[in-house]
Amino acid sequence: MKQGNMLAMILAGGRGSRLHELTSKVAKPAVSYGGKYRIIDFPLSNCANSGINIVGVLTQYESVLLNSYVAAGGRWGLDTKDSGVFVLTPREKAETGLDVYRGTADAISQNIDFIDQYNPDYLLVLSGDHIYKMDYAQMLDAHIKANADATIAVIGVPMKEASRFGIMNTDENGKIVEFEEKPAQPKSNLASMGIYIFSWKLLRKMLTADMKDPNSAHDFGKNIIPQMLADGRTLLAYEFKGYWKDVGTIDSLWEANMDLLDKNDSLDLGDHGWRIYTADTSTLPAYVGENAETDRVYITQGCDCEGKVTHTVMFTNSRVEEGAEVTDSVLMPGAVVEEGAVVTRAMIANGVKIGKGAVVGSADSEHIELVSRNVKGVE
Amino acid sequence: MAKAFGIVTSTPRRVKVAGLQDYRSAGAISMFGRYRVIDFPISNLTNSGIDNIQVYIGGKYPRSLVDHLGTGRQYNINSKKGRLQLLYCEEDTRNAVYNTDVANYLANKDYLDRMDAEYVVITPCYMIFKEDYSVLLQQHIDSGADVTMLYHKVNNARDHFLNCRVLTVDENQKVTSLAINHANKQVQNIFMDTYVMKSELFLELVQKTADYSSTFSMSQMLESGLGETDLDIRGVQHKGYFAAIADLDAYYEANMELLDQKITKNLFTADWPFYTTTTDACPTKLLAESSVKRSVIADGCEVAGDVENCVIGRGVKIGKGAFVKNSIILSYCEIGPDVHVENEIVDVWTKIRRTKELVSPAGKVGFVRKSDLL
Repeated sequence: MKQGNMLAMILAGGRGSRLHELTSKVAKPAVSYGGKYRIIDFPLSNCANSGINIVGVLTQYESVLLNSYVAAGGRWGLDTKDSGVFVLTPREKAETGLDVYRGTADAISQNIDFIDQYNPDYLLVLSGDHIYKMDYAQMLDAHIKANADATIAVIGVPMKEASRFGIMNTDENGKIVEFEEKPAQPKSNLASMGIYIFSWKLLRKMLTADMKDPNSAHDFGKNIIPQMLADGRTLLAYEFKGYWKDVGTIDSLWEANMDLLDKNDSLDLGDHGWRIYTADTSTLPAYVGENAETDRVYITQGCDCEGKVTHTVMFTNSRVEEGAEVTDSVLMPGAVVEEGAVVTRAMIANGVKIGKGAVVGSADSEHIELVSRNVKGVE
Repeated sequence: MAKAFGIVTSTPRRVKVAGLQDYRSAGAISMFGRYRVIDFPISNLTNSGIDNIQVYIGGKYPRSLVDHLGTGRQYNINSKKGRLQLLYCEEDTRNAVYNTDVANYLANKDYLDRMDAEYVVITPCYMIFKEDYSVLLQQHIDSGADVTMLYHKVNNARDHFLNCRVLTVDENQKVTSLAINHANKQVQNIFMDTYVMKSELFLELVQKTADYSSTFSMSQMLESGLGETDLDIRGVQHKGYFAAIADLDAYYEANMELLDQKITKNLFTADWPFYTTTTDACPTKLLAESSVKRSVIADGCEVAGDVENCVIGRGVKIGKGAFVKNSIILSYCEIGPDVHVENEIVDVWTKIRRTKELVSPAGKVGFVRKSDLL
């Protein structure tokens, strides 16, 4: 398709330190999810499906794998004449030397030259670490219709959890009147999803000013949005209905995987009208063995399932050998559970081997056990 | 620059995979849940470092194959330096005798003339095996032979490989005979329709065959000339997994045979990937009521029933209480609740809802048409 009037920038520089060893070598957006995907496949596929052709991906923390992953834009169909996925890492500049991205807004400010090449009317700013399917074109329609300066996607969260989020207080027309970061006494349950549409001309002006402000944290939530409100700009809350999950912790990443095991899960990755695209691997289809027992299993290419597997997500090339038992668990790509091993309420990291007869995790644990190193078998 | 270019021939007229081939060329037939038969010859070529490849497409229904092959990027072909060229050849519908590989070559002779590689590797679209052509090419060069022909020794030729050719070799591996398998002997060398020779000689042979008889294929030409020709034609024996998808029974057997993990591991190794086209299907859901035993199941499926000894293609739905056994279910089919399917090949997009019992006798696999409703 020909280039549209909205360009997307995905903020993918975060470490996601609450994912512990899963992000010791890769950035959070590159973490595996849902059997065959990486988290960043979701915003990238959403962009492709929404008809956005130019996507900048802002990376910083442990970016080698992430950079090479997203640079192959063909995976999301974004490699045509007028489209592309562009990796934007901090760079050395003539007048300032090498600056890291100081905040979410600064990451965009430092790439104004990139955005200017395409001269878009609107800029979509996304975070690279959420699981959801969303049509950004519809959000843009709402932004244009409301004649807004900025539109922020929000989702209703349970009131008792609202104090964990950035909360938008709105008037009866959905206009944002107040923004509160993690309020102790929330007045509304509309949480920011970290998805913003800005009219580019205005944002460009504000970013240029923000860059020079020594007291700014150069952050959208802390500086740009409050400044817009203070200036009396029109900020629209765009309410999203559907599955959305921040997979910031081992428990929430596990939960988001478990959500896929329900018969009619609300993320619905099988929806042909809105596919999520990912890297293709040259592996055989899944094999389920003669003595396997499976009950609620999400399984994919390259898997070899020979044991008893219950309520578990098996990622690409993972293997459960005969006599092994895996329950309520997540086996990341290439994880192996050898003969007779028992895995319960655990997340086995990429390529990790649970040796013969070893026991990992327990049914009554408070948290999910992350296993990121090989576990020796019991001889 | 690779020393050789590759040719994947279109289906020879003797090959007939009843049912499946009614809608598509043999190369486009789905194999083992997520592959097409043609993925195997093309992957062999690209893994061998050959990325100038001509695919000859015959038959009435090229769509399926053309869709699947696309630009060839999925096969690891460099899109600038290499090329996957799809060459269409119209079939003579009045008399099939004219539909030969040689006729296809002549119809596209301009594109053959422009290939500047010194050697050509010719391989069929309907056979499944693993072969490193860089090794075979070197063997060919070292032997000093004019033509190298690849064969596979089998011990079940009386009731298998009936549409294939067989060859014999002498103690120096010179090919001494080449003929259709008359099913008179169990032990035979099945010719794998695979040749290596110099491009120049290949073009000469094409012309010679055409001048000799308009109905002759290249193998017929070589067969008739054996004994009187000056050409040094040698056989090289292939080892490892080999299947010829030359009829429906062979298709069924090859899929079922690959359910044996020992056989699968021989064909599919980490150092020799077989590439195919992704459909971006999500993973497969095995639901609470389901039971799956000794089966291969591609992505995008939803299984609520029982599956035993089956190959299940992409996006298949199997309802609660259904029982599917010893069958091949191709992509996007639906097996409704409480339906019993046994010893069947069910072609794509078919829904079995009302016919609750669909069982063919063992050893006589049934075929269910595509996009059908039962």
